[in-house]
Formats: sequence, structure tokens, C-alpha cells
Amino acid sequence: MKILIVDDFSTMRRIIKNLLRDLGFTNTVEADDGTTALPILQTGTIDFLVTDWNMPGMTGIELLRAVRADDKLKTIPVLMVTAEAKRDQIIAAAQAGVNGYVVKPFTAVALKEKIEKIFERIDSAK
Amino acid sequence: MSDKKGSELGDFENIVKDGAVDLLNKLEVGDFSGAIKIIQELSEARHKSFYNEVGYLTRSLHDAIRDFQIDSFDMMASSGDAESASKITDASDRLNYVIEMTSSAANKTMDMVDSSVPVASELQNQARELHKDWNRLIQRDLTPQEFRELYKRIDAFLKYTDESATTLHNNLNTILLEQGYQDLTGQVIARVNDLIRDVEERLVHLVAVAGRVDSISGIEHEEKEFERDDDLGHGPSIKQDNNPEVLNNQDEVDDLLSSLGF
Repeated sequence: MKILIVDDFSTMRRIIKNLLRDLGFTNTVEADDGTTALPILQTGTIDFLVTDWNMPGMTGIELLRAVRADDKLKTIPVLMVTAEAKRDQIIAAAQAGVNGYVVKPFTAVALKEKIEKIFERIDSAK
Repeated sequence: MSDKKGSELGDFENIVKDGAVDLLNKLEVGDFSGAIKIIQELSEARHKSFYNEVGYLTRSLHDAIRDFQIDSFDMMASSGDAESASKITDASDRLNYVIEMTSSAANKTMDMVDSSVPVASELQNQARELHKDWNRLIQRDLTPQEFRELYKRIDAFLKYTDESATTLHNNLNTILLEQGYQDLTGQVIARVNDLIRDVEERLVHLVAVAGRVDSISGIEHEEKEFERDDDLGHGPSIKQDNNPEVLNNQDEVDDLLSSLGF
């Protein structure tokens, strides 16, 4: 299980990376916005995407749409971890096909719960 | 100063009002040349007020720019840094400093956490192992050889516990000290905030002056409301309670998502 963490702030990437490690996910890679994330995703080695919304260059919602529009990438589960909390934005993310939405500031418990829920759904869909 | 200007604008309004009455009177008695003369006078008064207001606007703008330059000269003189060209540039530098400080504090704190977690894990492992054998000792289930080894292991464990506690203690102290960024960045942000308020006051003043020019010249501006695209993001929301469109916490997000069938 290889996870790509996309956030423009290195401290936030590190926090998420550490929390994921505590949850047993030790294989992670990082990117600082959608533009740098896409080429990594296109290598086909990423199993799970955790992304922020508000980033320079390509935003998280644009990255999500690009992933869902790409035949090779569209099944990758995407968890959004973001400070964006407008009702319309959450609806937009849901419509774009997000698998989970965590608002910052978040707790380790919230992150764990959402990730587990995503994997439960994937397993039950199999 | 603005009161004086306000009264000048009032003067112009009075001239228009009085002129209108005179104009009607002249028209009623059929004095057309007198009426035309009044119209010309009104037009001249409008031009005069208009130029006065534009002149005032120009001076205000000039003063505002000069104030900023004076501020920046003061600052350059005090800091001796020619690159700090204005208060705004200075504010921007200060905010960058906040970003650097908060980033450095966060990273150092995480460094300390990273170096503490393995120590805590190792303590836990060793304590669990010892506890197992300790229980066997209580149940008199140890061979004399095992007992001698347990004896040595307890000694080693106590030594390791002492060292680990010292390490954890130092790490926690470093984390504590790192929180000092809050004081320093708080002061910087407060100063930048003062500057923003100051700039806003001056801009509001300029807008008021420009508004008087508009009212005399009869120019009307279309009011446009700019709304940032959701796709670009809005950043963390502040004073969330005031905006029903912004959700306050994870529970509200979860409720919304489950209402959408998630």
C-alpha cells in the first residue's frame, strides 16, 4: 500500500505522514501540489491519495477531477484533508468523487476513522 | 479637513437649490435671458466645485503617497536596509518571518516527537518482557539460571529507564521552549495588523474624497461583488458562526456527506 500525500505545507505533510505511519502505513510519497502529484500518480504505483484543497498551481479539487477523468487512475481512493469547509465545496468534492473529507484542524482519530471507512467500503465492494 | 470640504460640497448643493428657485422665477415672468444666465452660473459653479474636489483628491492622494514614503525613509534610516522600500514590503517580510518561525517550531517539535516515540516504544517492549518473567518469578516458575538472568536484566532495565526518562524529559523541554514562537509571531502579526488598519483608514478617506468628485460630476460606478472561486479555495474560515454556508467541524461535514448518500 503506497500512499501519496499532497499538501503545499511541508509541516502538514509531515504530520499526515507520521499519523499514517502510526496507522501502519509506512510507504508514503509526497508532492506539494496537483501539478507535481499527477506525474507521480501516472507512474501507476500509488494506491491511495491524500490531498489538501488550497494549493498553488493545481488545487486539490482539480487534482481529484483529473484523477477521476483518467481511465488508469479513476479508481484510486481519494481522501481530502483540508481547511476548506464551505457547504458548496464539500458538495463539489462529493460530486467530483471524493472518498472521504477531513477538515483541518483534525484529530488522529478522525483521520484513522475516515481511512478505515474508505477501506471498508472498498473491501465490501470487492 | 473633511468637514470643511463637506461644507463646500454643501455650498454647491445650496447654489444649485437657490439657482433652481431663481430659474423658475425667471421662467415664470418670461425672463429667458436671465434664465439662461442662471443656467450658465450653475454650470460654472459645478465646474469650479468639480475642480476643487479633484484638486483636493489629488492633494490627498499625494499626501497619502508621501506619508508612505516618509514612513519608509524612517524605516530605512532605522534599519539601514535600503531594500526595505516601504512599510508594505516590511510587513510582507515580517509575515514571511512568521511563516518561517512557525514552520521551524513545527518541524523542531516533530523532530522531538520522532526521537521520543522509539524511546517510549522500547521502554514499553522491555517492560512487557520483564513483566512476563516477573510473573513467572511470583509463581515460582523460574529456574535458578533464569533467576540470575532476570536479576541482571532488571538492573539493565532500571538503568535504561533512567536514561530514557532523561531523554524524554529533555525532548519535552525542547518542545515547550519551541512554543515561544507564539509570543514572537503574535507580536509581529499585531504590528502588521496595525499597519493594515492604518492603510485602510487612509484608503477609506481617499474613497470618500473620490466619492464627492463623483457626486459633482454625476459619474456612477457599477457596484461589483467579487466572489472567489470555490475551486481556488478560501483558506481556513474564521468566525464561522456568522456564515451559514461554512461548516464548523468534522461532525457537520460528516452529516452533510451522509445526507448526500456517503
